[in-house]
Amino acid sequence: MRCVAVAEGPPDSYTRRKGRTREISVATAIRTEELSKTFGQTKALVSLNLEVPEGEVIGYLGPNGAGKTTTIRLLLGLIRATSGRAEIFGIDAQADPVEAHRHVAYVPGEATLWPSLTGAETLHLLGRVQGQVDTAYRDLLIERFEFDPSKRVRALSRGNRQKLILIAGLMSRSDLLLLDEPTSGLDPLMERTFRECVKESRERGQTVFLSSHILAEVEAVCDRVAILRAGHLVEVGTLAEMRHLSALQVEADLDGAMPDLSAVPGVSAVEVDGSRLRCQVAGSVEPLVSALAAAGVRHLVSREPSLEELFLAHYGADGSEEGTPDAA
Amino acid sequence: MRRKEVYDPRRATRVVAVATARRAGRQGILWGLVFGATIAASASSYYPTWPTAASRAKLALSFEGNAAWAALFGPLRRLDTVAGYTAYKSGMFTIILGAIWGLLVATRVLRGEEDVGRWELFLSGQTTRARAALQAAIGLGVGIVALWVPTAFLTAAAGGSSKVNIGLGASLFFVTAVVAAATMFMAIGMLVGQLAATRHDANLIGAGALAASYLIRMAADSDSGLNWLRWASPLGWIEELRPLTGSRPFAFLPIVALVAVLLLASVRVARRRDLGASAFASRDAPRPRTLLLGGQAGLTVRLTRPTVVAWIVALAATGLVFGLVAQAAGSALRGARGLERAIERLGGTGIGAATYLGFVFVVAAGLMAIAVAGQIAAIRGEEAAGHLDNLLVRPVPRWRWLAVRLGVGLGLVVVASALSGLAAWVGATSQQAGIGLGDLLKAGLNVVPPAVFVLGIGGLAFGLWPRGAIGVVYGLVVWSFLVEIIAAAFDSNHWLRDTSPLLHIAPVPAADPNWTAAAWLVGLGVLAAVLGIAAFGRRDLVGE
Repeated sequence: MRCVAVAEGPPDSYTRRKGRTREISVATAIRTEELSKTFGQTKALVSLNLEVPEGEVIGYLGPNGAGKTTTIRLLLGLIRATSGRAEIFGIDAQADPVEAHRHVAYVPGEATLWPSLTGAETLHLLGRVQGQVDTAYRDLLIERFEFDPSKRVRALSRGNRQKLILIAGLMSRSDLLLLDEPTSGLDPLMERTFRECVKESRERGQTVFLSSHILAEVEAVCDRVAILRAGHLVEVGTLAEMRHLSALQVEADLDGAMPDLSAVPGVSAVEVDGSRLRCQVAGSVEPLVSALAAAGVRHLVSREPSLEELFLAHYGADGSEEGTPDAA
Repeated sequence: MRRKEVYDPRRATRVVAVATARRAGRQGILWGLVFGATIAASASSYYPTWPTAASRAKLALSFEGNAAWAALFGPLRRLDTVAGYTAYKSGMFTIILGAIWGLLVATRVLRGEEDVGRWELFLSGQTTRARAALQAAIGLGVGIVALWVPTAFLTAAAGGSSKVNIGLGASLFFVTAVVAAATMFMAIGMLVGQLAATRHDANLIGAGALAASYLIRMAADSDSGLNWLRWASPLGWIEELRPLTGSRPFAFLPIVALVAVLLLASVRVARRRDLGASAFASRDAPRPRTLLLGGQAGLTVRLTRPTVVAWIVALAATGLVFGLVAQAAGSALRGARGLERAIERLGGTGIGAATYLGFVFVVAAGLMAIAVAGQIAAIRGEEAAGHLDNLLVRPVPRWRWLAVRLGVGLGLVVVASALSGLAAWVGATSQQAGIGLGDLLKAGLNVVPPAVFVLGIGGLAFGLWPRGAIGVVYGLVVWSFLVEIIAAAFDSNHWLRDTSPLLHIAPVPAADPNWTAAAWLVGLGVLAAVLGIAAFGRRDLVGE
């Protein structure tokens, strides 16, 4: 995080504390320190330490109940932290949510809007309440998402309501976009439009915090990925870093007899189907290649794990959570 | 070994009826207790209020045939008997409340559930649209029985006491008449729930039907030449039953016929229409109106405007009616010792038009409290539905949002109070009652302090216990009504009286305002509201 001190002057939207000299942070969009939330006996979020630099697009993954929405609602100050701290651009999001919200646009996964208002009225209202709207961009978004703003919210389908709340969030060009499964209910074409919007936001220097179940979407647009399990942050890094630390997927077609790979270092998850072999290898691939070469290889393919495989590696292929007893 | 659980298929097909019965039954029992207590309190207060045969004869002479009074409460008969007096005192009140409850519970089940998407979950089970509607009707029927039982029990218990002495048959006939009104408007609610686009629209149409029914019987009762008009109004049919004043069971025929027709029509419409569709044309793409959508305050005004305007008009109309009948009622009330004592307890003296107005404005304070409780329910509704999230994730401070919402409630109270005082003056002046505008404006504004108190308590409950806020505020209002109704039975210093904010105000214009009590009520209300706003700023937002 880069911090600078500025002399007292006109009100600055990035002000963290009042005083003769104010320390402001301009390089960290989101920072949480030991952020925790408990609902009764349930630990929804446990000691989250996360830092998101300004201008980054971060994917926030986890199964249902892992604590993704809880994190976002804590960052928005909609719920109170049991302990810890959450900052948005250096502003304490729990103590001064209004100031923090000047930099934030939020898109929930389920749009609960006023049914009697039309789409145009809703966009007008939410723009005024937000305090900033790029009207040309709003009109462009309406066009790109093929949204009809003349209809009342109650007459809109679920997908169209989601388009409306997406446009309302994006049109403000806020410094930070908090997106909580924002494409739920959208068709694939609109999902693609959404990804383009996220990429444009990054190019403009906006920060995007994207909570999603659609791993392809996260893989396509995110610089880094954070994985949450039962309220605990279990992994955070770029996809390249995660892949580097993870096992390589190897598939081979053999000419001769199947070799015994149990003693080959780093090899796991061996599956044999006739002359076809599938396995994972962590660390150096050389011992495996030597063993296969001795058996006679007809065809060999190796690839890095997809995000889905990385994700499932944390939960098991059946999606069940491993280990942590205090699942949210 | 994997085991497949198989439920009794008959149970699976009864699920809508059971769910509806559970909801309507719980509410029915609660309202039944309120209705029963109201009727029992009315009956019990007769002899203490009118202790001599002469005073009772004068009561009957003064009120029976009074067109203005009949327009308000229905034709008054045999007021020199405890039965006739009970029918007058508690009849119209319980009939109207029952009708409103029936309407609201029916539209909730048959349209509200559909609006939020729960109905389609039921319909994806082992049922059809028509069958589900029929099951809902059965469940609502259980609610009617649940309303009848406690009402009948308390009424019969009061009637059976030696101090009242109303026959069991007459008591049960009266309760059945009251419950019949709830049943009819429940059936109306079922049908309009199938015809309208949303529950909100269904409630508006149902409320229009209730208002039309009331106005038709009002016209019918105000002139003996128009009595036949009663047969054109469902509320008129209840009057034709003449409960407690010479029962006429044949008037049940149109009631039963109406309920049967509406029930069949509801099931038929449910079978034919698409889920989510409405029979009435609905403008889904109107011209955008952004005048009030510049911020949170404007949005609040826009969202609450229909309800607020309706309450203001209703309370002003009530004030006008009070004014119109004040002169006649004031002279008729002379000799009512119980009433004199009640007025004295509140700080007034003597009997006359001013005293009558002072007394009924205390009742108006209760209506104002209901309006305020509705505002608290609307505030909680915004949060429960998730609409509030859209504002609070933007730069809108929580304290300002709640302060504006409570401010709208306060504005409603002040405007409606002033207008009801003004309207009462217009009515009273047209009858040469000789009461000044200043006095009646004061009388109107005199009901503001208890309303502010209820608003503040509602705000505090919302801040501390959002899911219980509606129950707390309506509980306070119902409790206040009950204490007010049965206050005549207690000594002036009884502690129970002190628990009702409605009984801490002076009967203006019969007495000067009790500034000390008013200041306490306003002060406590404001303090509670401030604490509620502070608590709201420190808690999680809570959905349904």
